[in-house]
Amino acid sequence: MDIISLRAVSKSYPSADTRLQVLREVDLDVEEGEFAVVAGPSGSGKSTLLNLMGALDHPDSGAVRIDGVDLAGRSDRALANLRNEKLGFVFQSFHLIPVLTAVENVAWPLFLKGVERRRRVARSRELLTRVGLAEHMHRTPGRLSGGQRQRVAIARALACEPKILLADEPTGNLDRKTALEIMDLFASLNRDGRVTFVFSTHDPTVVSYAGRRLSLAEGKVDDEPLGVTRHEDSAHA
Amino acid sequence: MPDLVFLSLRNIFRNARRTTITVFSIVVGFAAMACFGGFIEFSFEGLRENTIRTQLGHLQIYAEGYWEKRVSDLESVLITGPEEVEERIAELPGVATVTHRLTFSGLGTAGNATVNMSVVGVDLEGEQEFSDFEILVDGRPLDPGDPEGGLIGEELRNGLGARVGDWVTVLTSSFDGVINAVDFRVAGVVRSASREYDSVFAKVPIELAQRARETDKVERIIVLLEDTGDLPELLPRIEEILAGFDRKFEIRRWDELAGFYEAVVALYTGLFRVFAGIVGVVVMFSVANTMTMAVFERTAEIGALRAIGARRSTLIAMFLFEGLGVGLIGSGLGVAASWLLAAAVEAVGGIPMPPPPGMTQGFQAYFNLTGAVLLSAFAVTMVATLVSSVYPAFAASRIRIVEALQPS
Ligand SMILES: Nc1ncnc2c1ncn2[C@@H]1O[C@H](COP(=O)(O)OP(=O)(O)OP(=O)(O)O)[C@@H](O)[C@H]1O
Ligand SMILES: [Mg+2]
Repeated sequence: MDIISLRAVSKSYPSADTRLQVLREVDLDVEEGEFAVVAGPSGSGKSTLLNLMGALDHPDSGAVRIDGVDLAGRSDRALANLRNEKLGFVFQSFHLIPVLTAVENVAWPLFLKGVERRRRVARSRELLTRVGLAEHMHRTPGRLSGGQRQRVAIARALACEPKILLADEPTGNLDRKTALEIMDLFASLNRDGRVTFVFSTHDPTVVSYAGRRLSLAEGKVDDEPLGVTRHEDSAHA
Repeated sequence: MPDLVFLSLRNIFRNARRTTITVFSIVVGFAAMACFGGFIEFSFEGLRENTIRTQLGHLQIYAEGYWEKRVSDLESVLITGPEEVEERIAELPGVATVTHRLTFSGLGTAGNATVNMSVVGVDLEGEQEFSDFEILVDGRPLDPGDPEGGLIGEELRNGLGARVGDWVTVLTSSFDGVINAVDFRVAGVVRSASREYDSVFAKVPIELAQRARETDKVERIIVLLEDTGDLPELLPRIEEILAGFDRKFEIRRWDELAGFYEAVVALYTGLFRVFAGIVGVVVMFSVANTMTMAVFERTAEIGALRAIGARRSTLIAMFLFEGLGVGLIGSGLGVAASWLLAAAVEAVGGIPMPPPPGMTQGFQAYFNLTGAVLLSAFAVTMVATLVSSVYPAFAASRIRIVEALQPS
């Protein structure tokens, strides 16, 4: 089954005199477990597309379905619960909560979900260990490097065991070596579970991790399978 | 939601400087309200005790119908043989004195001057307690061994042009309608809290008043307690005692009789409200400013929280908790600051105050920080902080997620 499904989705923004049409009647399906990249020049609408998939924004027209649920007309509460339980987000500028330690940051989505305290802490420790941050659990984001922050963000995105992980230029603020480490981590997480990954990037090396490329141009998506290009971790070590 | 509280607390201390300024403004506002309230409370207490102990007592007991007939047919509502009632009430623990009075008004003359007088006939034995709050400015107090002696108010002395030892003649009418005159010798001159009272007031032995009105009855029984605070507890017991008699009585509490006290309380309470309103507005601006800046600065974070599943209501709660936290911290420190100020005033022996309008004497003011005063300062502070957090919290919940998350 398609975990993400867009039908005739259009999105525009108000601009100086007319409207800026960013997406034009986009049809798109993402299967469960896929590792897809959204590529395209700056301003082509990558973030716009990911935001629609993540129930962070509404399309002007068309339908967005996440795990079979049509997002149109859902209440704020329903959408918040959907984001909390089915989706995980990783952002270019991390967006961690600066006053909370790594372990508290990771535990937050679990708190919002209503998970009991002890289980939240256990789960976030486990996740931080998995992303290689066992040593730094009690540091606040200000005392972590960019790569470490992004690992915390990834752990946070995975906290509620989402079906989909959306990452908008997750390596955009990282140096090359760290960027590849983060992509290796994504790739291994994608292999481990059945989490569907959709991320956006400018970086061709990062694109090469994906199993499918969705190229955005002129408001349309050009769909291109990338064959067996799934990288082994060692390839970039 | 302990974790939301936890996050809110962390956020409060995030911008320490800004929070300090806001908390400081709350502390100043709180302390100003509490000290002003404490000052008013202190003044109320002084006025209350003065009114009770010089004039009214805590309770006055009359024969049934007194208030309807005291002008048209006073004689029919006088009390005969008050002693048996007084003895029973005096047995109650907490009752300081029970006495009786008969008042009348008349024209007083000493030498050439003639003035209106309000003469209180008192039982000299039972009246000792009442003189505590009167200040004798000349002569000596009433003496049971001197059935002809009387006290007059300081202003009345000036009106009459009389001196200690002079005779004053009071012209009045008996209950039978016969014009009657009695004389007393000025034994002493007193000053009570109220100038108005002092300008008409004379106090004489009750026998003298009874002679003037040609009666052996009394007008009212007056009960003075040891502690004003005991009144609510003792009142029903006194009512019970009165109910045990065949004749019927009416009771008035001091506060039902003290129109002046009520007026002063109303005035000062009004002043306090205006003041608290001003402080509340200042606190509201200060908190609103802080909260609005906090929301503005944390836009991206708000977007991230929403993306990981926070509902609008979660954000509203988070920012309201922050406002609540700032209010509670400010109030807590405000209580401490008020106590320190009150202690400082205590240490320097009070703030010297001029005589209030209509009063005869200045006084040393203290801050009487009662629970009620602190509670009202707390209520104003908390309402102000919460009200001014509502809009920023609501605004935070309405931020569009995608705009919040856009890299700035
Ligand atoms: N909230 C908005 N209001 C107005 N215009 C917007 C808004 N968000 C995006 N745009 C415009 O829509 C277009 C697509 O934006 P989008 O952020 O989706 O592009 P992108 O492919 O993610 O670009 P980048 O690679 O720079 O992140 C851009 O021209 C952008 O200026
Ligand atoms: Mg973008």
